[in-house]
Amino acid sequence: MADTKGINRRQTLKLGAGALGLGTIGAPYWQGTAQAQAPTLRAAITGFNVINTLDPAKASLIPEFYIIYGVFNSLLKFNAKMEIAPDLAESFSIVDPKTLEFKLRKGVKFQDGSDFSADDVKFSIERVLDEKTASPNRGKLQSITNITIVGSDTIRLETKAPFAPLLNYMTNTRTATQIVSRNALKTMGDEAFGKNPVGTGRYRIKDWKSGEMIELTGFAGAFEGAPKIMNVRCPMIAEESSGMTAILGNQVDLTSTAPFADIPTLEQKQDIRVIKQAGLNTRYIALNNKKAPFDDVHFRRAVSMAFDRNVLVKAVIFGEGIATPGILPPSMWPDNKPAVSDWVQFNPERSRAEFAKSKYKPGQEGTILIWGSNWWRRIGEIFVGQVNQVLGTKLSVQASDFNAGYARAKAGDYDAMVMGWLGFVDPDEFMGEMVGSKGFRNIHSYASEKMDALLEKGRMELDPMKRKLVYREAELLMLDDMPLLPCFTSNVHNLMRSNASGFTQLPYSNFADQFGTVQIG
Amino acid sequence: MAFAGGMIRRLTNRLGGVFVLALLGSAAVFFAMRMGAGDPAIAALGDFATPEAIAVFRTKWGLDQAVILQYWKWLLNALQGDFGASMTVAANVPIAKLIASRLPNTMFIGLYALTIAVLISLSAGTLSVLRHGKFADTVATSFAVLGISMPDFWLSYVLIYIFALGLGIFPSYGFVTPAESFSAALYSGLLPALAVAAPMAAAFTRILRTALLETLHREHVRVARSFGFREAFIFIHYVMRNALIPYVTVVGLQIRYILGGTVVVERIFGVPGIGALMVDAAFARDYPVVQACALTFPIGVLSVNFIVDLICAALNPRETT
Repeated sequence: MADTKGINRRQTLKLGAGALGLGTIGAPYWQGTAQAQAPTLRAAITGFNVINTLDPAKASLIPEFYIIYGVFNSLLKFNAKMEIAPDLAESFSIVDPKTLEFKLRKGVKFQDGSDFSADDVKFSIERVLDEKTASPNRGKLQSITNITIVGSDTIRLETKAPFAPLLNYMTNTRTATQIVSRNALKTMGDEAFGKNPVGTGRYRIKDWKSGEMIELTGFAGAFEGAPKIMNVRCPMIAEESSGMTAILGNQVDLTSTAPFADIPTLEQKQDIRVIKQAGLNTRYIALNNKKAPFDDVHFRRAVSMAFDRNVLVKAVIFGEGIATPGILPPSMWPDNKPAVSDWVQFNPERSRAEFAKSKYKPGQEGTILIWGSNWWRRIGEIFVGQVNQVLGTKLSVQASDFNAGYARAKAGDYDAMVMGWLGFVDPDEFMGEMVGSKGFRNIHSYASEKMDALLEKGRMELDPMKRKLVYREAELLMLDDMPLLPCFTSNVHNLMRSNASGFTQLPYSNFADQFGTVQIG
Repeated sequence: MAFAGGMIRRLTNRLGGVFVLALLGSAAVFFAMRMGAGDPAIAALGDFATPEAIAVFRTKWGLDQAVILQYWKWLLNALQGDFGASMTVAANVPIAKLIASRLPNTMFIGLYALTIAVLISLSAGTLSVLRHGKFADTVATSFAVLGISMPDFWLSYVLIYIFALGLGIFPSYGFVTPAESFSAALYSGLLPALAVAAPMAAAFTRILRTALLETLHREHVRVARSFGFREAFIFIHYVMRNALIPYVTVVGLQIRYILGGTVVVERIFGVPGIGALMVDAAFARDYPVVQACALTFPIGVLSVNFIVDLICAALNPRETT
């Protein structure tokens, strides 16, 4: 026995040493590779790992636009104060309520070296409008009737009626109005262009591994100036928590999002900077107004008063947001003041009184579809708990994934569903599409002539302050009808290593548009 | 010759089985996916897609045709080795290319984990038997219970916090593929491989310990001792060799979980593997990708089973003579 023991002890030690050797052999390569590629900005797309196309006309997903923002420019953009600023257009003017005129920048080059011209602008917008392109954003531009090139550097957009959102829709946001190179697109064809797009932005695509990573390389001839860091690697990290460990472990310099629950801890870290502000987003509970039990306005109002939105903000997003009485985020409120309506105040007594007016009784059942990561699910779980406690109902949650839930909601086969949208820059994207009778996001089967008239008024009102007041009126009408239950607006977050600087966060969840000014060290 | 002939017969039977299973499995997956709620157009075009855009998408991918016809077309193409292109997780990228880039990474992590698990279990299992009832045995047995009890996602984060964020000796995220650099793949893949290996190592240790203890008290071992052979010789030739048959069988059974079981670990560490691809595809209703992955899994599992059979047969003297 003694011999055997001796052999095995030695073997065990050898095995242990071997395993350790295997693990450490690659370390110098790994570190060497990172250093050899310096200076490289490692900007992780977190919470998402699907990018299908980088053609602005065909893109729809937020991670697609994260990259598009840096490859392309639009006629206009938002500055750090969220004011409309020149981009490819050096100035713009409102010729009359139905005509916008843009004076284009001269001497701008596309990344393939060709000249930017008014033809490219006309082509880019017409392409979005062309049914054959099947652009998901076509609806945003449908009011345009004429695109006219005036001289060599001026372009006019005419609409059939005054259309206030158009200026916002001409910015470098999630609107498909980024200007593409007409020649490059014609030469390459749609599909190849979607993989290797040509714009005027500070970066172009160097490499793209589906679901894994996009590598960008700087465009020295960009009209905004050459980027400070020419190489950018954008790993796509599906789990936000993995994005957090990646930046904590110095594997990335910047992330596109951060997990709400970890913000307080991350804010204590010396080597990480949490960049945050109120986002242009909305989180709510969609209700099927044509199906029991949410077909009864008294029941909808009763439910709205039976849950405390501040509890959701605290428990769901750990205080990283603000309870909202409507679906518009605070920056779209007139004078930054929220709508005042009793229907969205947590008031158990009034809630029960309103419930008594409805055709439903305690014990009423209903299903709330929940989906996605933990915090999305918690909205539904906490909501159901509070409402059942106040009203004695038997609402329940049903877990699903977004795609299945949304397909059911679109088909009208649901009672209620936790919902939310982000990246919108115009109130019409929120209100018009969610509560307009023909809105894409109106999964509530809600139709009100009065609401449609107000929304139309909002689209036609060119004075920004007056326009905000129109949407306030529309929000109050919405709260009376309560086709959905507004909950909160969440903050947008980016995490950045403390040795990096130069990233300006914007509330619509921007990303690659800022890479050009980022510095490390 | 008899051994080779038997193997060829087994191989032929297995291949036939794989074909039938793949056919039934593909049909089951195809129709189950179509029956479930969800719409690839929403995944690809987003919620604000116009009805026209959705119609164009559906026509392009043949989703407007009868489901049975869609399956028939898919089957005909699949039989010719054409799995089509991804609809929603990597638009228009050929699926064969996707799988070819993802499968080696999953296999690498799986085999890496398996190697670690086998090394640990051989050492721990042997040690616990040689020190039966003593401290080392208790440690090895406790380790086995712990390994089986730890969820892989939890262990992954523990490993990250200790070795990446704490000690800073391994990357907290990211994987260099073996194609880029084998040594860097070994380095960046060690933590994910350890997370996958832990429950396997625990299961292997338990089975090896039990098999060794059982074999140690068999008649033939006593007889060998009576001949005066050295203990080391007896242990290697008469105890270990016999105990390896159930051990290899269990190892083979565990391998089948590697393909699907690394999904969570792949996600946490950013390993671009086939498990994560299939999950992403299922969520995005990328039917052809799910179909192709669903075919890859049974083929992989049955191939492994066949290899395990071969090893067991080689270890068993009754089959090799």
